[in-house]
Amino acid sequence: MAKFRLYLDENNRSPLAQLWREFSRQHSALFGLILFSTFLSLSVLAPFITPHDPYLQADNLLLLAPSWTEQGLVQYPFGTDDLGRDLLSRMLKGTTYTFGLALLTVLASLLAGLALGALAGMSRGVKSSFFNHLLDLILTIPSLLLAIIIVAVLGPGLENTAWAVILALLPQFVHGIRNAIAEQLKQDYVTAYRLDGANNWQVLTRLIIPNIWEKITVLSSMALSTAILDIAALGFLGLGAQAPIAEWGAMISDSLDIIYVAPVSVAIPGLLIFAAVLSVNLVGDGLKVAIQKRRES
Amino acid sequence: MIIFLLRRLFLLGTVLLGLSIFAFSLGYLFPGDPLQNFTGLRYIDSAQREQLIQAYQLDQSYTTQYVAFLTRVLQGDWGLSFSSQQPLLNEIWQVLPATLELTTYALLLSFFIGVPLGILAAMKPNHLFCKSISGMALVGYSLPIFWWALLLIMLFSVTLGWLPSGGRLGVLYEIPTLTGFMLVDILLSNTHYQDAALMDAFRHLILPTLVLATYPTTVMIRFVRDAMLDVWEQNYIKTAKAKGLNRLQVLYRHGLRNALLPVIRQIGLQFSTLITLAMLTEVIFSWPGIGRWLIDSIYQRNFPAIQAGLMIISTLVITINMLTEIMHTFFNPLARKY
Repeated sequence: MAKFRLYLDENNRSPLAQLWREFSRQHSALFGLILFSTFLSLSVLAPFITPHDPYLQADNLLLLAPSWTEQGLVQYPFGTDDLGRDLLSRMLKGTTYTFGLALLTVLASLLAGLALGALAGMSRGVKSSFFNHLLDLILTIPSLLLAIIIVAVLGPGLENTAWAVILALLPQFVHGIRNAIAEQLKQDYVTAYRLDGANNWQVLTRLIIPNIWEKITVLSSMALSTAILDIAALGFLGLGAQAPIAEWGAMISDSLDIIYVAPVSVAIPGLLIFAAVLSVNLVGDGLKVAIQKRRES
Repeated sequence: MIIFLLRRLFLLGTVLLGLSIFAFSLGYLFPGDPLQNFTGLRYIDSAQREQLIQAYQLDQSYTTQYVAFLTRVLQGDWGLSFSSQQPLLNEIWQVLPATLELTTYALLLSFFIGVPLGILAAMKPNHLFCKSISGMALVGYSLPIFWWALLLIMLFSVTLGWLPSGGRLGVLYEIPTLTGFMLVDILLSNTHYQDAALMDAFRHLILPTLVLATYPTTVMIRFVRDAMLDVWEQNYIKTAKAKGLNRLQVLYRHGLRNALLPVIRQIGLQFSTLITLAMLTEVIFSWPGIGRWLIDSIYQRNFPAIQAGLMIISTLVITINMLTEIMHTFFNPLARKY
């Protein structure tokens, strides 16, 4: 619904610029974006900026308290764990595993979802309903159960959980993209383009994909928060990342038995997971609102 | 409506068929001997092996094997558990009610907290109180559940000592299992410590329910808020206001009825996530439900149990999905497409 405006602001900016304008008006979304980019850069730069080797076990510095206490050392801001490994370095390294891997799984799942969703959305009849029912099947298996099955078949490990997460995310993507395509196919400009003699492929690449990418971004942000939580949960259960790997979820379960001695080693990885998921959700919510507002203006 | 129901039923059949094919193929996909995976027997000597291969028709084609598998599943012969050598179906009936109990309470809690808060947050979107509700919902939505559970245990069980940190009932009380639902069982039992046991079971329930309800509550708040904001813009609300109905009347007669429709559907869609979260909650609170049973099974490489767990949990999720969708269609004439 177009709202009446007394002062017309210039509306001839590009769609992307309009989107950014609406997005940057929301403080929470901007804060989320900053947090998100921090995590993103950390996950890429982690190997180069860790102050110590995250796997180096310093025998003389077991269970060092964080540096804000009396016993702490300033070289080890968060202290060390029960094997004398620097916690800060492990947290940084964990960004690559939990956050970076989640990004990769979402990307892989998105590409597969785009291909399958386009196939399901552009086809009709039996083929289309076959896709749907196959997806309903995967949708009914809870992601943790799917991961358990994959771990049972392939054995535990970070790589196998990545496959489980990709498979678990896939149905949402295919459903979302299929619905978005179906919505686009009803538009008049698609009919007009078809009358011009465009085939399915041209309609898909020139009209539909440019029109649904916003929806895809929102879908991906939702999938990313699920992926981070799933990878961390699997690490926590010992099905994902294995013991020495500095993945946040695995670190929490590693430190569970020293929670009374060093509560920091449980608190900080949890906080990081929380912050990572929060940043993704803030950006996703901000995008959703910005897209809606741009449509209205 | 009948055609719609028939179509749904047909869909249910197809999905269940696909599921059983997947479960059957797991017998071969899992490491180890397929015969062991199907029967659940740990040690099979050669004489017994011949006999079992005949009985399970493993020397025939895959189609025949699958039909034999399906017959066994329908007859209730799901094989034995590797770890306990007990029939799997019995074990599942022992652990499933505990999960259902926990999930039901969490869902009810999320409904009774989430819906009113969501409506409140939608009424005055720019008010500070409503903004803080939305903010809290976002925080709850982003919390990793296992960490949240640990925090609550640290606070309420370890530091304050108010609530037990795990289990369903104190060891002091012995309650015969009738339905598997602890609170119902206690109410049905005729013991002199009924009240005390009820209190104890309730104390054990608080933390797991709270943890499990966090995610669905926040989803509910966000969803109801969005749906309400959407409905509130519609023309029929303006008509209702123009007719002179007061705020509460408009809210109840026109707003809620339309805004809560998608919520029914959302419950079905979120159910599979809820089961995942229930599994994590059970592990942390040592709740003797199917989630913990399954996680234990993977630690023990108990493949028949995983196969059976897959079938039972997925059937549950599919059924709930179907039921909510049918309910949604039943209440919403607009959704009926033939």
